[in-house]
Amino acid sequence: MLTAPLRLGCIECDLLVSVSPLGPGERARCPRCSHLLTENVDEGFQRSLAFLVAAAVLLVLSLCFPFLSLAESGLEQVMTLPGSARELWNGGYPEVAILVMGPIIGIPGMMLVGLAALLLRLLRGVEADWLVPLGRVLFFLSPWSMVEVFVIGVIVSLVKIAAMAHVVLGISFWAYCAFALCYIAAFTNIDRVQLWERIEELTP
Amino acid sequence: MSDSATSYPVGTAAAAGLAVCHICHKLAPESHHECPRCGAAMHLRATDSLQRTLALAFTACVLYIPANILPIMTTTQLGTPEPSTIIGGVVLLINLGSYPVAAVIFIASVMVPSGKLLAIFWLCWGVSRGQKTSFQQRTVMYRVTEFIGKWSMVDVFVVAILVALIQLGGLLSINAGPAAIAFGGVVIVTMLSAESFDSRLIWDQYHGGAEPDRPTAAAGSPEQGEAG
Repeated sequence: MLTAPLRLGCIECDLLVSVSPLGPGERARCPRCSHLLTENVDEGFQRSLAFLVAAAVLLVLSLCFPFLSLAESGLEQVMTLPGSARELWNGGYPEVAILVMGPIIGIPGMMLVGLAALLLRLLRGVEADWLVPLGRVLFFLSPWSMVEVFVIGVIVSLVKIAAMAHVVLGISFWAYCAFALCYIAAFTNIDRVQLWERIEELTP
Repeated sequence: MSDSATSYPVGTAAAAGLAVCHICHKLAPESHHECPRCGAAMHLRATDSLQRTLALAFTACVLYIPANILPIMTTTQLGTPEPSTIIGGVVLLINLGSYPVAAVIFIASVMVPSGKLLAIFWLCWGVSRGQKTSFQQRTVMYRVTEFIGKWSMVDVFVVAILVALIQLGGLLSINAGPAAIAFGGVVIVTMLSAESFDSRLIWDQYHGGAEPDRPTAAAGSPEQGEAG
């Protein structure tokens, strides 16, 4: 993607570094603090977009079906992701509902749609003036998505509940785990510097 | 922090009067004040980095008190409500013999937040007294601190799942407690605190020599000599 040497300042130690054009799969690290400066992911945008489409389908699936269900002494309880938000909200803890649903569904969902729109435009190579603001929103939101943390949280809960009752894993559970994998794969295929260089090229 | 570019070590972007955009990593003259590419505010170093980091870290310390003494959830079994705190939950799990889960909860809810706060204080202390050693180690510590921050949310998620799933009426039900909000607050505020810390402040005391010269991968190369 890059043709001329790129001057960068290491974001972690501020060393001025000149990065010559990277071949597919090559990475440039800061010679002083070894921070990963930039990486030329081979066909990164296309790969990322593919993972984003898969993640979007899986996220929708995970919202539509039972997540976990519990059977104990003839009583049965089915939990869905939207249902658990409702339960927390009605149970007097709307803050906890937002604190949980934001980082696991709301923010990842927004980032998924936003990045897909951005990548589609970048791959088509058509100029647009909304690329910059969208890019800024994406990088502002990125630290606040916690899909992988939620997966671990679910596994911990399962072990906790297993002692009390019989738990059945629902379709949504598997869909969410697969969603988390696709979502993480989509973002690891994106290099910040390369993405912004491309945005700059296509900003009128 | 000094404003004059001349006080920064030779070879850094700041010494050349260049600032790195924290959003899009564009390198541009600091005199622009705004990133020419994405429009974010540009500074040689994050504004009042130490003050902001410390203020948020102290906030997290304060929130950490209610997070630990108030109940994080209440289990109602056969009509008897039984509130439990974070530590109480860990102790209960150990008594039940679920050592791996107890370990996960203990690491995520106790060790990670407190370790992270200690690391932040230590990093700030090192910068404020102008420490001239272990640059690489402190950078690694900062990276780890930034990376592990969100993993503390595990406990809040566990509470949310238990609350949503275990609603068997009078037989057994679980409700969230006020500590869940306080603990979520601790996680968010410590994440903001780590984000406010500018790791370049560590390297501002580096004038070459002390660090071993390490070989580098791929195409990165320093533009100027590293010696100060």
